[in-house]
Amino acid sequence: MKKIMAKASRMNKVFIVVALAVILALFMLLTGCQKKAVKPEAPPPAAEKQPEAVAKPKEKVPEKITEQKVEAVASKDVAAPYAEGKEGMFADILFDYDKYDVKDSYKAEMMKVSAHMTKDSSATLSIEGHCDERGTNEYNLALGDRRAKAVKDYLVSLGVPSSRIETISYGEEKPLCSEQNEDCWSKNRRAHFVLLKKAGK
Amino acid sequence: MKGRFNIQHSTFKNVFILIFIVTLHCALFTAAEAKIYIDITSPSSKKLPIAIYDLQGPFGKEISEIIRDDLTFTGLFMYIDKTSYVETPAQAYNPGNWRPLGIEAVVKGGVSGAKELTVTINLYDTFEVRPILSKQYQAEENLIRQMAHNIANDIYTALTGTPGIFRTKIAFVAEDDGEKGIYLMDWDGQRARKMGLKGRLVLSPHWSSDGSKIIYSSERGRQWGLYLLDFLKMSEKSVFVSRGTNMAGDFFPQGDKVIFSSSKDGTPDLFTLSLKDSSVKKLTASYGIEVSPAVSPDGNFIAFVSDRGGSPQLYLMRSDGSEIKRMTFEGSYNTSPGWSPKGDRIVFSCRRGKNQICTVKPDGSELVQLTEQGNNEDPSFSPDGRYITFASDRDGKQAVYVMRANGEAQKRISPKGLRSSGPRWSPN
Repeated sequence: MKKIMAKASRMNKVFIVVALAVILALFMLLTGCQKKAVKPEAPPPAAEKQPEAVAKPKEKVPEKITEQKVEAVASKDVAAPYAEGKEGMFADILFDYDKYDVKDSYKAEMMKVSAHMTKDSSATLSIEGHCDERGTNEYNLALGDRRAKAVKDYLVSLGVPSSRIETISYGEEKPLCSEQNEDCWSKNRRAHFVLLKKAGK
Repeated sequence: MKGRFNIQHSTFKNVFILIFIVTLHCALFTAAEAKIYIDITSPSSKKLPIAIYDLQGPFGKEISEIIRDDLTFTGLFMYIDKTSYVETPAQAYNPGNWRPLGIEAVVKGGVSGAKELTVTINLYDTFEVRPILSKQYQAEENLIRQMAHNIANDIYTALTGTPGIFRTKIAFVAEDDGEKGIYLMDWDGQRARKMGLKGRLVLSPHWSSDGSKIIYSSERGRQWGLYLLDFLKMSEKSVFVSRGTNMAGDFFPQGDKVIFSSSKDGTPDLFTLSLKDSSVKKLTASYGIEVSPAVSPDGNFIAFVSDRGGSPQLYLMRSDGSEIKRMTFEGSYNTSPGWSPKGDRIVFSCRRGKNQICTVKPDGSELVQLTEQGNNEDPSFSPDGRYITFASDRDGKQAVYVMRANGEAQKRISPKGLRSSGPRWSPN
């Protein structure tokens, strides 16, 4: 009896495995290959039966080509807090390639700027940082920023109040000299001084 | 006992064979369905010979010319000249006319209508009778170029299984009458148009990942500010202005946050700016320069330029500012990083005497130099990662160029005589 029971249960197992396999196979046929099964097999029209050179498209509705309209946008003007000031009172501070430290040889010029700022206590100074064209745009703007700041720090150390010194970087965008040689590039790697007047005065 | 075991064993065997057959059957038919004519991932795959007729009807020749140019630039197709076609345009397609010539794909079609044009396109695989692409397009006469690019996209997709980039655009900076502004052109350099945005100085624009916005920096009234242009609203907004040099930067993938470089606190450092509440967060703090941040496509990493090691080099960090690692060691001047859309390569400007375009893996390995002539700057990947746009002065005046991502097929695309720089490929 026990033996028969065991045999029956073993037969059951076999049956279950086979049944599962058949279900799995059916499932895979229906889902796994669904794309294939569902895809309508339109009979391929013979080439010679096509009356027109331009075969009729299967998709009946044509795709409408559109484009997002791009209109010109006007930027708002930003009023400069300062009118353009006086230039050329002080010599440019020149820098070595890819460097932003003020060389000792410019000590006299820096003293001159500092003395002027002390004498004329209403003056505001703008220091423009510039670079030669060999670098890439964004890095040059950062480099010009560091050059202008280095000159500012120097002047602050000489006693000029920080609040009276503005800095701006122009990177390689405003070269003084446009030839492609070291003589020209060295003139472009500069900090340039501009004495500013408040706008409207 | 032995016999039963045998029965059971053979049943299992049969079941496995059945499963195997069904699986194989499925695999075979799935493969057959998505037939790929050109495997674009294989660098050595041979070019697919394709015949493209001049479409019959108004503007047909012009449209076909654009489709040919688009497909040829990919380097994946070999356009077979019209003179060798056996079929006249009026004759019906017959694969037997093409196979002996070694041509594997044929594009035929026609144009009808006057102001509103309807184009019918049939793309044939010369091993089949039925077209593998058969479609109609409708467009106003002034949208011919866009329609031709659309058709090229569909042909490209049918043959490669991947989307084409022929309707993408390139935003760039150009100088006109001494004033700089943002310009937009098609990826092939056609239809270049001024956006009207002004500023004495304007830097390279950066796209949001959905292509609806660009952010750029401009100097106005002696101050560098970040400005945002919304293409859906067609309006410009100032998003950040302060003392110091402020430079965009890049969008994070969600579009609600940007990263930028600012020297507002002293030295140029990297900050994030929320476009929702305008909150600013500082990410780096070093004595030197931190500039040109580029956000990885998944938003988790930032590639940027720093001179903390003594010369400008590329660095990589997590987007919260942690785990800063140096990426480039070769050369003394590496700047302007940009990510490939998959995030597997960085394109940048590398100094080799003059500035050239290089790519490298984000871990610093596999450095490749792609250009050799003139100064080349501001590189940017196409949204499918197969092409790179950049600015070069190799022909005198700085202009915008495109090339394949392996350096092949370099060509100027910006209008002749227009001083152009800072190109960025649109994401869509």
